[in-house]
Amino acid sequence: MRLYEYVARRLLLMIFVLLALSVLIFYLTRGLLPPTTALAAYITPRMDDSAKLSVARALGVATTSCPSYSAFVSLQGGCVVPLWGQYVGWLENALAGNWGLTLLPGISGTDTTWHVFFSRFPYTAELAIAGAFLTIIIGIPLGIVSATHNNKLPDHISRMVSLGGYSIPQFWFGAVLQILFVLYIRVNGSGLLSANSTVATRCVICFSGVVPGEIARYSGIPLLDGILSLNFPYFWDSGVALILPALTLAITSIGAISRIVRSSMMEVLRQDYITLARSKGLKENVVIYRHALRNAILPAVTVSGLLVAYLLGGAVIVEIVFSWPGVGNASLAAANVLDINFLELYVLVTAVIIVVTNLAVDVIYAKLDPRIRY
Amino acid sequence: MTDNNDYLLRTENLFKWFPTRIGILSRTVAYVKAVDGVSIGIRRGETFGLVGESGCGKTTLGRTLMRLTEPSKGSVAFEGTMISALKGSRLKPFRRKMQVVFQDPYASLDPRQSIGSALLEPMKIHRIASTKSEAKKMAGELLEKVGLNTDHLARFPHEFSGGQRQRIAIAIALAVKPSFIVLDEPTSALDVSVQAQILRLLRNLQQELDLTFLFISHNLAVIRQMCDRTAVMYLGRIVEFAETKKLFENPKHPYTKALLSSVPVPDPSKRRELGVLQGNIPSPVAIPSGCRFRTRCPYATEKCLNLPPPLIEVERGHWIECHYDIDFAAASKVEIRPRAT
Amino acid sequence: MKASKPEGSQSSDRYGRRADLKYALHLLRRNPIVLTGVAISVASVLLALLSPLIVNPTSWDQQPLNLRLCWNNPIVNWQIANVFNCGGSAVYPLGTDSYGRSLLQMIILAIPVDLEIAFEVVASAVVIGVFFGGLAGYKGGIVDEAILRVTDVFLAIPGILLAIVLIVVLGRSLPTLTIAVLTTWWPYYVRLMRSQVLSEKEKPYVERLRAMGAGGIRILYGHIVQNSIYPVLVQATLDIGSVILTVSALTFIGLTPSPLLPELGNLSNQGIQYIFTAPWLILFPGLTILIISLGFNLLGDGIRDVFDPRLRR
Repeated sequence: MRLYEYVARRLLLMIFVLLALSVLIFYLTRGLLPPTTALAAYITPRMDDSAKLSVARALGVATTSCPSYSAFVSLQGGCVVPLWGQYVGWLENALAGNWGLTLLPGISGTDTTWHVFFSRFPYTAELAIAGAFLTIIIGIPLGIVSATHNNKLPDHISRMVSLGGYSIPQFWFGAVLQILFVLYIRVNGSGLLSANSTVATRCVICFSGVVPGEIARYSGIPLLDGILSLNFPYFWDSGVALILPALTLAITSIGAISRIVRSSMMEVLRQDYITLARSKGLKENVVIYRHALRNAILPAVTVSGLLVAYLLGGAVIVEIVFSWPGVGNASLAAANVLDINFLELYVLVTAVIIVVTNLAVDVIYAKLDPRIRY
Repeated sequence: MTDNNDYLLRTENLFKWFPTRIGILSRTVAYVKAVDGVSIGIRRGETFGLVGESGCGKTTLGRTLMRLTEPSKGSVAFEGTMISALKGSRLKPFRRKMQVVFQDPYASLDPRQSIGSALLEPMKIHRIASTKSEAKKMAGELLEKVGLNTDHLARFPHEFSGGQRQRIAIAIALAVKPSFIVLDEPTSALDVSVQAQILRLLRNLQQELDLTFLFISHNLAVIRQMCDRTAVMYLGRIVEFAETKKLFENPKHPYTKALLSSVPVPDPSKRRELGVLQGNIPSPVAIPSGCRFRTRCPYATEKCLNLPPPLIEVERGHWIECHYDIDFAAASKVEIRPRAT
Repeated sequence: MKASKPEGSQSSDRYGRRADLKYALHLLRRNPIVLTGVAISVASVLLALLSPLIVNPTSWDQQPLNLRLCWNNPIVNWQIANVFNCGGSAVYPLGTDSYGRSLLQMIILAIPVDLEIAFEVVASAVVIGVFFGGLAGYKGGIVDEAILRVTDVFLAIPGILLAIVLIVVLGRSLPTLTIAVLTTWWPYYVRLMRSQVLSEKEKPYVERLRAMGAGGIRILYGHIVQNSIYPVLVQATLDIGSVILTVSALTFIGLTPSPLLPELGNLSNQGIQYIFTAPWLILFPGLTILIISLGFNLLGDGIRDVFDPRLRR
């Protein structure tokens, strides 16, 4: 099979998975609960009946022929759209980018779900990318050192870090970091970070005194916008604000990646071709970085799909602990008021990201490893 | 090949093709023709040899006979019943009569099952012993029969040597009191000294229990020692078939000849008429047209390229698939006679 | 040796297991880290079983409000005077929470809650994994494809997100919490068991069993599963810790049946609200989670060393 045929097959599977997932999430949010419950979040007592009815129609649960809101509430015949009809309508809307109104950021039904979600999403993306970055630059070297210094001090330290990463509750790690840095490591009478959530304004390692000027929101990602608009105080401050959340998010995956790299590295180092490379008189560093690492890194590549899923999920907890203004933080608020529009969009966007990453990873893997056949 | 009610097992034009699927819709683009039209008959009480290079399909033939894999076409008859058409529970009585011993004695035993439990399991499946104590007694007897003792019942496979494990595998096969056993290279993973013991054991068991063997091997010496009649397999087909003695003394097919001449002979004065086989065995996906041996045959002609060779009886009970009657026996000189067809 | 006496297959099974056990004990004695893991996990299970005897199991909904956020631990001075006026002279080793309950007592009551959910989730995931994963790997073809695609769907969402949706929709209670976490957990076990069965079923002994006339159920669940389950059990041990982490994270963000419930994440949730005034409230429950989960991770690592011959040095 050729590569494009493999990719085509995977794309088909991907569409199937996403469709099945949309059915699952639709059933969970709208099929399991009576339509009035799904609607409840989006109406307020102040609304008059016709306004309530039009909200119900917009949500796709009430038919256009339904005479009144009270008829809908009493689930009168012909008033409630059957579930499969709801699904079809919902899917059509969803594909057109029409995800209805959301309760967030707090006032009932004032903004579209799509807009609210994607104005918050860049913050989550920034956090997840920073987490992935930390995972790679800390986890992989840790694994290599652990394998090359097997059963020596670096190995023990690395194993402790990875076991600790596996075992530590993320929310707790984040809280401890906050306690340490904000409460106890005091500099000039104030904490390292200001209480102001993302952008620190009066702390020592921040760009002190400089008030961030106008920020052009190119991408919505603070770090990127800071560079693009050449506003270095803003860039620096957002970077500082990112450190602790990103480290909290990455702590578990650092452990996982270093474990995988360690074991595959040790396996590779036992191979004959490594012995051959050594017997040729190559320097140990050349052997390790030129010959061994390339092959040892492959298993780590395969789990990066899982890593993305893990980081996007972990972001929910980290955002809550650090009051990060991303979608994860918002999802809890949405869950508490049963804002199903927001939850559905969140789940499906995340799923698309994960599925696409998995596909990309498999293709890259196939390119990296000539032995792979599809 | 001749009709005879003495046949315990017969195959009629048996095929086993494995499809190679590719693409989005898994369309079949080619077949691996592992067994490509085989008709053999195994007589009650004999040891039927099946010899050929690795990859020629002899193991697949054995598996298809045993119904471990579905035949693609053709039939297998065991004691007159078409077992190739049976399914599920109707096949089970025949499973009891046919057993198999595999090449690798290390992998063919469940590592976490004690020898005793492995011996009791087939009895449980086929409800052979009426009580548990009777079954245990039978298991002990089986072990003694293959040259081990009852103490070994409590042990696990990893505590035994290769030869002992093969004895255990034989004992397990015997547990259901079969009449037919497929021996798939039973000695090729063993040391030479152990090989001889296992072969002797098999011969004794055959006499004692009135067993019929299909003996699959690539080892010509073992085949010669063990088998009454022998078939030579090449790329999924039987190319020559005769009584073992005749086959070894006077091979008729150039492939058999080449195989035999590759075995070192004790007397160097006996000349080898045919050199070592040239080239590799072709892929069973793309079998050569006409005669499948023609790509490696020193005598191949135009006819071999175009026509599949006929099956002919050159002497009584000696069959070959070849266009020509090649007389290797004509002292040191190979004589090729076109056959009148 | 005693086992060499012919006593039939029952004693024979014991013989093999005993050898495994002996080897395991030998490895344990050699490896103090694994021994620590065993000690922690055994201790936490014992503590969970005995906790109703140590602490009055109904004390968690009594609220002596005059003791709110009291901290009388002499070992660490947090430099924070009691925020609230502590009545009485009782010593609370780990302080009290905002409801006036002894934090130590609450942690002791919380351990069985978390461990029970963790064991339920992992045991069910193993059962589901063995059944469906075994079926997928052994049967292959369309059964395999169908089961794999279903796991694909569940693996395409971050577990915590699916769990949030499930808990919100199904209602907040301990059983729904368990079901929500299980829903995100089982696909990994199906995948793991399937891959194990795929490699195991190619071994010749399986073919021999088929030739013997053994049925699919006997071959799959009587032989293949038994030979390929150790990696699954190792994963299960490791996952006890991970499930506790997930469950406590869910209750920590507020998806809890009751804010009063003594559950480690729930206790931490209180803590994050008072993080700068009463840091002990989040420190100690979180530390408990860390220790228990570390214990099971170390235990799992040790079991892997015992059963994975490739790692034997």
